[in-house]
Amino acid sequence: MAAGIREQERQDRIAAWLFLSPALIIFAIFLVIPILFALYFSFTDWNGISPPAEASWIGLDNYQAILLQDGIRRADFFKALKNTTYFALGVVPVQTALALFLAVVVNQRLLRFKSFFRTSYYFPSITSSVAISLIFLFLYQKSGLINSILSGATLGLWEPIAWMEDSRGLIHIILGWLGVTLRDGPAFFRTELLGLTIWDWISGPSVALSGIMILNTWTTIGTMMIIFLAALQDIPTSVYEAAQIDGATTWPTFRKITLPLLRPTMFFIITLGLIGTYQVFDQVYVMSSGGPAKTTLTVAYMVYRNGFRNSEMGLGAAIALSLFIIIFILTMIQRRITGSEATD
Amino acid sequence: MTTISEVKPAASANTSAQSLMATLRMVLSYGLLFLLALSFIYPFMLAVTTSFKTLPEIAANPVALIPETFTLEGYTRMQGLNVGRWMFNSAFIAIAVTTGNVLFSSMAGYALARIDFPGRTAVFLSILGTMMIPGIVMLIPMFIILRQLGLIDTYGGLILPKVVSAFGVFLMKQFFESVPRDLEEAAAIDGASRFQMFFRVILPIARPALVALIIFSFQGSWNDFMHPLIVISVNQDLYTLPLGLALLRGGIGQNLQWNALMAGSMITTLPMAIIFFIFQRYFVEGIAYGGLKG
Amino acid sequence: MNKQSYWTILAMLLLTMLLAACGGGSAEPVATQGEEETGSETSGETAEEPESTSGESEVTELQLMGWASSEAENDRLQEVIDEFNANNPDLNVTLNLVPDYDTKLQTSLAGGSPPDVFYIDSFRLPDFVAADSIEPAEGQLENVDDFYPSLREAFTIDDTLYCPPKDFSTLGLQYNKALFDAAGVEYPTNDWTWDDLRAAAEQLTDEENGVYGMVVSADFARWIAFLYQAGGSVTNSDFTEMTINSPEAMEAMNFYVGLVEDGFAATPAGLDSGWPGEAFGKESAAMSMEGNWIASFLNDQFPDVDYGVVQLPAGPAGEATMAFTVCYGVPAIGENKEASFRLVNYLTGPEGMKRWTDLGLAMPTRASLADGWTAQYPELEPFLAGAENANPWQFRPGFQDVLDTMNDGLQQAFSGTLLAEDVLSNTEEVGTEVLNR
Repeated sequence: MAAGIREQERQDRIAAWLFLSPALIIFAIFLVIPILFALYFSFTDWNGISPPAEASWIGLDNYQAILLQDGIRRADFFKALKNTTYFALGVVPVQTALALFLAVVVNQRLLRFKSFFRTSYYFPSITSSVAISLIFLFLYQKSGLINSILSGATLGLWEPIAWMEDSRGLIHIILGWLGVTLRDGPAFFRTELLGLTIWDWISGPSVALSGIMILNTWTTIGTMMIIFLAALQDIPTSVYEAAQIDGATTWPTFRKITLPLLRPTMFFIITLGLIGTYQVFDQVYVMSSGGPAKTTLTVAYMVYRNGFRNSEMGLGAAIALSLFIIIFILTMIQRRITGSEATD
Repeated sequence: MTTISEVKPAASANTSAQSLMATLRMVLSYGLLFLLALSFIYPFMLAVTTSFKTLPEIAANPVALIPETFTLEGYTRMQGLNVGRWMFNSAFIAIAVTTGNVLFSSMAGYALARIDFPGRTAVFLSILGTMMIPGIVMLIPMFIILRQLGLIDTYGGLILPKVVSAFGVFLMKQFFESVPRDLEEAAAIDGASRFQMFFRVILPIARPALVALIIFSFQGSWNDFMHPLIVISVNQDLYTLPLGLALLRGGIGQNLQWNALMAGSMITTLPMAIIFFIFQRYFVEGIAYGGLKG
Repeated sequence: MNKQSYWTILAMLLLTMLLAACGGGSAEPVATQGEEETGSETSGETAEEPESTSGESEVTELQLMGWASSEAENDRLQEVIDEFNANNPDLNVTLNLVPDYDTKLQTSLAGGSPPDVFYIDSFRLPDFVAADSIEPAEGQLENVDDFYPSLREAFTIDDTLYCPPKDFSTLGLQYNKALFDAAGVEYPTNDWTWDDLRAAAEQLTDEENGVYGMVVSADFARWIAFLYQAGGSVTNSDFTEMTINSPEAMEAMNFYVGLVEDGFAATPAGLDSGWPGEAFGKESAAMSMEGNWIASFLNDQFPDVDYGVVQLPAGPAGEATMAFTVCYGVPAIGENKEASFRLVNYLTGPEGMKRWTDLGLAMPTRASLADGWTAQYPELEPFLAGAENANPWQFRPGFQDVLDTMNDGLQQAFSGTLLAEDVLSNTEEVGTEVLNR
């Protein structure tokens, strides 16, 4: 018997590696090698124009420039990190909650026009992101649709703003209503921390960045809804039948039965959300190029700008790898919290 | 989740007041859902009408939903171009990539979710980690590797690096984790090998997840811009739809050919929308398990 | 789904590994592999170097890489190249217009398979020269003195001319005739000064009807013209020091930002527009300060706007404008440099340049072609005349950081959150850091 189990284990091991081998071979060639390249570049002064073999090794200089040295590179890096973090904090919870809500709705067996609803909620995810970003530029104009709706909904109280040109931070605006400004505020507001003042750190996302956050949420909800939908259908109906016999009503059933079963999916969605938001690039590239006043400068856009606009690919690689470390740590924390592995 | 589902128990209620309330609630719920749907497709509708407007009209009134003067200008610009060929390339590549993903990503995902072997967590975290590095820094290394392999300007270069994705592996792993283990245990008692278990027991019940994977892989490949940009050096016969159509719009910001840009995005979006509409029908609750248990 | 699917998977697995293996070790012979595999591999490689397969005819293949512009321009460039090919049977030039140009170009250059000739914007030239990626054009060009000095300067670094200008644009002042007539203001002339501009902008502003005298953008590339008109400069002549924090620069800031502060000018976003040309087209600004690209834009998107063009007004130190220009570069690692320069010489030579600029969308960079061009397009003459007092848009490698800081600063100065002197001192600080890298 014991030999049988060991034999079973041995066979399982072989099976596992066989199952994994096509994926691992492709990843090794087309992901791991490029990543090792990038890691190497981050220790060089490579400009991204001449062949990489010509770059010289400069040790930790790039990392020093973005993390330690006082200057525009560090200020930009932390500005970008600040913007990106506000972006993730705003987008991830909202898109996760809304996607789950919509998935539950379009999963209803008795729902009519199901195909229509599913397709329309998914539509923003399929439409070309350049076209949609440009359409949103129209909608965010001063006389654009979004201002009109807000003004209608607030009975004219809403003052139209040019969203994509507005660099005011949301928290700054709220503090302003409460009478707190940089001028009259406490002195520590002006204390500098990593190239930015405390006042800058607590700005919140700017109005322009919020505009991109809304667009980003709107375009990713569909994808996440589909993932939740598929996961909901993986839950055997017998589980619900049992609950119905017990007389449990909808909300408790959802909370006590559905949600725990969705745990692996939840981990997946939140991780995906973190990765996606921390790497947001396309919409910034098309809509704002980092402006106004660098309030939409994100880390991924900074990587692009340094690599392909400012001939500092080595520095770009160092930023990219620092971003990797940040996302990885956040994912590990998140893994603990959602307890994804608990199901094993 | 509350609005619609509460309709169910109410439907069996007897008194007319209750049924009136139920109807009212239903109307409200559907109204809300339709309003939400509208907000999700409105920008797309705007893109549709923009593609039929003249440039001066777009400039004067960008958000009007009905074109004053209907024009095919945006579409006729494509006449001289090889749009048919681009579409074929995009479709061929997307089908190949999707097939590869369905097979390889689900195999890898299964191994990571279900088989205990030393190094499992390390492999999983490494795969996950590859998703966390901005792709922009890997473009030039990717080009160098493809060139070493002789894959520049080939279908192989367009397809091979994409036949399995970290996203797909991660997606499938998480799905397989939520499948109850008792199904496999039953199969194991019957003496099935891992391969038989995977193909006979696991894959059939993973249909919702596979449908999701098919949709995402196809769409990812269909809309991919950066990878073809890097792989295609001089052979314009290999151009894909997003790459070819990007040439139509001129420089962003200044003399942007709005109607041509939107017409191009219609041509890329519609096939994808049809594919989604077809495949989403397979998201039907309960069928997978019901079928299995006879 | 049993035995068969097993084999399918195993076969695919093997195929994958085989492809990976034979690709990975391209240097060593792989003896065991099947005929079909090697066949497909070699065909992949030959596609990359077409000249090796073309055999007896000895035709050298050249690739010209650029970005796509308007349909008319793309077609015209193709025609010019067709003519070159017809006259040079030993060469075959392919025009490769690509989207996302920066990414594509850098990938090909760094990846070791550059195009034979490619576009370079003057602002990016220092980066490419610092990377030793451009073959100097010094001594390779015909009749160099015929190019406008300001345009030669735009592609000269440390006294070496790296590439000849393909075409160029300068900033001019556009004015809306109807709005000027309605406000009873006389049309601008080439002799205008700052005071004239400001006075006209004030008179033209009609806030009730949403019309501003002028549209100005928070853009270093526009403000810099005022800096030069005020007699200021960005750096000293040998790029060792920033000189942007000067009284002249302050004067230019006060004038430019003052237009907005006093309500005589607005930003594009304030006028529901993406860029100044759009605001001008919508007739919500009576004047704008753009290059000749605005002509084809207005023609396509706002055909009813009746407008005129004059040169930019003179500041305290006289007249000045900016030249934005692109050149044809030849890569230092190119394999056919001699042939590449033949193509470049044709494209920028009197004949090729004339064909290319006859379209009226681009302006000739050779002074000898100026008269012919202005006779054809008299209304655009002020743009071409700008070449005489234009400053090049070219600094040092890494200057994108300075550009971003200045743009930010202008943006904040317009919205009143940053003082003009702080904008200048911030830019000076960042510039000093960049120059000392």
